[in-house]
Amino acid sequence: MLKKAAPLFLLLIALLLTSCWDAFDPGEMLHVWAIGVDRGLADKWRLTLLFSSLEELTGGGEDAGVSRQERSSKEDTIVIDAPSFFTGIDMLNSAIPRRLSFTHAQTIIFSEELAASGLVDNYIMPIIRFRQIRKSARVLVVKGAAQDFLEGVAPFAGSSVSEDLQFLGRESKNTGLSPVVTLNHFYTALNSPYYQPIATLAALNDFKSLPKEGEPWGTQFQTGGQYLAGALPRAGEGKVEFFGTALFRDGEMVGELNGDQTRFLLMVRGEFRRGFFTMEDPKQPDLIIPLDVRALGEPRIRVKLQGNKALIDVAVRLDLDLLAVQSKLHYEQQPLKGLLEEKFQTIVRTGIEDVIRNCQSLNVDVFMFGNHTTKDFLTVPAAENFNWNERFQNAEITVEVKAAIRRTGRQIVL
Amino acid sequence: MIQEGKFGIAEAMWLVVFTSAAKVFFTSPATVAALVGTAGWYMTLISALTALLGFAFIYLLLKRFPNCDLAEIFELALGRPLGFIFTGLLAVHLFFAATTNLAEFGEVIRIYVFPLSHNWYIVGLFILNVFILSRLGLETMARLAKLLAYPMLLGYLTVVALGIQNYDINNIFPLFGSGLKKTVLAGIVRCSAYGEVIILAVFAKSFQGLENIKKEGLISLALAALLVSFSLLLFTLTFPYYIAKEITAPMLEMAALIDYGSTLQRVETIFLFIWMISTLISTTVLFYSFVWLYCKMFRITDKKPIVLAGSVVLFATSLMHTDVISVILGEVEFIRKFGSIPFFVLPLVALIVAVIRKKGVNADA
Repeated sequence: MLKKAAPLFLLLIALLLTSCWDAFDPGEMLHVWAIGVDRGLADKWRLTLLFSSLEELTGGGEDAGVSRQERSSKEDTIVIDAPSFFTGIDMLNSAIPRRLSFTHAQTIIFSEELAASGLVDNYIMPIIRFRQIRKSARVLVVKGAAQDFLEGVAPFAGSSVSEDLQFLGRESKNTGLSPVVTLNHFYTALNSPYYQPIATLAALNDFKSLPKEGEPWGTQFQTGGQYLAGALPRAGEGKVEFFGTALFRDGEMVGELNGDQTRFLLMVRGEFRRGFFTMEDPKQPDLIIPLDVRALGEPRIRVKLQGNKALIDVAVRLDLDLLAVQSKLHYEQQPLKGLLEEKFQTIVRTGIEDVIRNCQSLNVDVFMFGNHTTKDFLTVPAAENFNWNERFQNAEITVEVKAAIRRTGRQIVL
Repeated sequence: MIQEGKFGIAEAMWLVVFTSAAKVFFTSPATVAALVGTAGWYMTLISALTALLGFAFIYLLLKRFPNCDLAEIFELALGRPLGFIFTGLLAVHLFFAATTNLAEFGEVIRIYVFPLSHNWYIVGLFILNVFILSRLGLETMARLAKLLAYPMLLGYLTVVALGIQNYDINNIFPLFGSGLKKTVLAGIVRCSAYGEVIILAVFAKSFQGLENIKKEGLISLALAALLVSFSLLLFTLTFPYYIAKEITAPMLEMAALIDYGSTLQRVETIFLFIWMISTLISTTVLFYSFVWLYCKMFRITDKKPIVLAGSVVLFATSLMHTDVISVILGEVEFIRKFGSIPFFVLPLVALIVAVIRKKGVNADA
């Protein structure tokens, strides 16, 4: 009997499995790529959602007579003021002929104003529970309103905005000029008794920083990393910039770091991989030497607690490749090689020390030193009672940087 | 007399490992993190050692009554009425464990994967598989467990290896978590996490001799402890304790965090298969053990009607909870705290009584 009924039974199961309540037609979904959050005017929150164009879904696009470049960016965003994120979704679902899906949301954007008001904590707490939003989504703080950012963002050289945001996030691993902060990192730091959160600083560049006339630049040296997002002196394609770091204390944005400072921060956090640095030629200060800098493993951080004080030793090791030597001096060999290495070590060491001092003045341990203090305690209550986040400002921190030139590019001047 | 097939050491071992280790994929790691902080990964080793001690008593009991399974031993050692009660208590506990497994699975999968599907639908489909497997018997379950073990292990190791990008060694400090005393105590109390090793005694006749049972018990306990401890360690390395304690399905979230750009992400789908299959085997073994003991208690020779009726009852009881918290903090915690009584204390009492009453092969010694 059972054997006879088996085929029917299997058919029944197959039918049941294909039509559960969670089944959906992909054509009915509207995939949100980025979520912008501002303080609202008509209600508590202003949500701006960036989604893929329905023209693509319906086979429109350029065939419909409108190219991606020509299409207004407003066509790809929708804005609503709502009392909560979830009510906002329902409100939008009743106004748009698709069901919103956040399973592909890669970026969460907060306005600087919202971040500085300390409301991010209120906002992150609810969405972390939402199963559709992945914790690997990137967290950005933008200059100006998140709505303006998402509405103003235009695809770069024919790509899509969502791709651009993803690629910019990834590319920062190769420059070190902005951190890669996921929702998981941000939320963990927000709740950590041992360190404070950071977020990527982003902005749209209006290209006004690029002077159109004036005196040509002289020989004065600049690193190129002294800017904040939105202020790079450039023009042309792609308005979006990820440059610098937003610093938080207990959920409130209290400061920011420029590109250079971000690199130094990431070196201590062990998140700096690689970047091109430009330094003055030690022998001819009017000329420069660009270097390809790579982190040689994780930084060594040793924390010693003496009573209520923490003594922290930071050791950063870097590998350098010579990219160009304008002065044509033989920096490949001793004694100039050692001189260049020493000079670069000093630049990085003082850079790191300055950033640490800056963060200590704000009392934000964004270096995650507190995580290393936990080794000195046997139990969680003892570690938490030490109250690291309040003690960071009084920590004595010494920095050691070791940098060595390993390669000399395509030239070996002997 | 109802009979089961016979199978080898590997099959038996994987059967016990699946049944014991499946719980690490549920909410238990979060509960452990809330309880002992960073010390969960070695707390579970303490639990395994305690369970090993419990298994030693079970082994001594089986040794005293060769060629008998646990239900028969209870009867021989304690007499029919008390043996009946002991078998009944164990059977009820196993059924309760199966129910809780299923209820927890249904709730957690609704949170992460099927939020709109009804509980009865998810649990119903699951029960259908439990029913089919139970009809096919223990040998099929054991062979299925072994067959699936290797691809599942491969999937597990893949997820573990890919997760390396999120591991932070600092997360395992402070080493003693919420305190060494608390950790040791919790480890001992929660030894029921490995109590499923008792199925070796429940189906003792299917395992081809006492020496095999001993080997299977030791290997499966060691392997299950290794898997659970390793998973908890990786979980601790990924999520600091203050975050770990608030995650509903930590292992799933651990897999979901894996992101190697557009090349490789969303690997939690591999994990979902591991989770579902291990839960299916675990629940089926627990349920089938109940059916087996029930039939023994009432001397029922045909287990098929009991499998059908039991499945219906299992379905109903799996839906009888008010909310997910009542499952996690109520039912699951009840099993962890008091599960050692039916799993280890009852066999120990039977052993003591058998020695006092001079029952079994060493009676004349």
